[in-house]
Amino acid sequence: MLGVGGGIIMVPVLSLAFGVPIKVAVATSIVCVIATSSMAQTAFAGRGMTNMRLGMLLEVATTIGAVAGGVTAVLVDARVLQYAFAAVLVYVAWQMNRRRGDVEPELTGVLEASYYDPASGKEVRYGVKRTGLGFVLSLGAGNISGLLGVGGGAFKVPIMNLLMGIPLKATIATSNLMIGVTAATGAAIFYGRGYMDVHYVVPAALGILVGARIGPRLAVRLSARALSIVFQTVLLVFAVLMTLQAAGVL
Amino acid sequence: MSAAAGKGAPEARHTMSRIERTVRLVLMAGITVSVALLVFGLVLVVARGGGIPHGTVPLGSMASELRALQPAAYLSLGLIVLIGTPFVRVAGSLVAFAEEHDGRYVLITATVLLVMCLSVVLGKV
Repeated sequence: MLGVGGGIIMVPVLSLAFGVPIKVAVATSIVCVIATSSMAQTAFAGRGMTNMRLGMLLEVATTIGAVAGGVTAVLVDARVLQYAFAAVLVYVAWQMNRRRGDVEPELTGVLEASYYDPASGKEVRYGVKRTGLGFVLSLGAGNISGLLGVGGGAFKVPIMNLLMGIPLKATIATSNLMIGVTAATGAAIFYGRGYMDVHYVVPAALGILVGARIGPRLAVRLSARALSIVFQTVLLVFAVLMTLQAAGVL
Repeated sequence: MSAAAGKGAPEARHTMSRIERTVRLVLMAGITVSVALLVFGLVLVVARGGGIPHGTVPLGSMASELRALQPAAYLSLGLIVLIGTPFVRVAGSLVAFAEEHDGRYVLITATVLLVMCLSVVLGKV
């Protein structure tokens, strides 16, 4: 519903509550991200919410960033990164809160698109700002998600919404498209390494496919203000979870 | 999978572009095939008893296991289809951009596909 993966919630639940080995839990959650993305996208794409060209352009950055994640892992301690990300998430949530509502759509002549917003009953036309900077930061977002296996969407949404000036609904739909690509690549690697276990993945994936049919319908109908508040809450929950993980509690 | 037949038909307000139609079609087909395989696998689990198996079936022995109606093979294949769907989506986008004669985005999409495949190959090592 929000264009974020949800892996950060699923992994601790599976590994702590059900005693699933951590790598298998991560593999399961990645498959669930794919299921969410594919299912939600059938609804988003049909409504023109997803900016296909923008998504594809930024996917270049996130996939390359994800491949480079291994390099970063050697250079920086993962726990230091987790603390840093928790801080960034809190900052982003605060920024979104300060803004009160959605960005004002601007026609910039770059990757322009439009969609029909059922909440306001209006056609929204928008263009993309600061494409270059957004691309560079997406490299970072891909790198982070490649490194920690989480947080891709949590960073892509603020980059696109706050920095590139894309309305929140189009941002969420486009982010949702992009996380499917990163997750599929990761899942293929996990499958090859033998961390997939149908015993856990199949029930989880089927459950998610049902749930993911509801999310987009809700996201499309809610006002941008309400959506923004939900998103800020999720970011703060992420920040708390990430801090706990870094501290070794989870 | 009647995502298209949602109530209120907001789709009617939006005319899908070629690329949107392609992406939507690929994803719906992927989900449908995957769910069909997973459900069939679960039916086999119930028929044979013994609960949902662990692990996955390696690609090498997939064909023979499928012929032997092993539930694990159908569950694994359903999973592979689910994981493969975004790959096919990107490949499908490439075709759609080519049909629109958008050379720049053909190139961009090809890069994404290449990096995806590259990281899968690198990840196995």
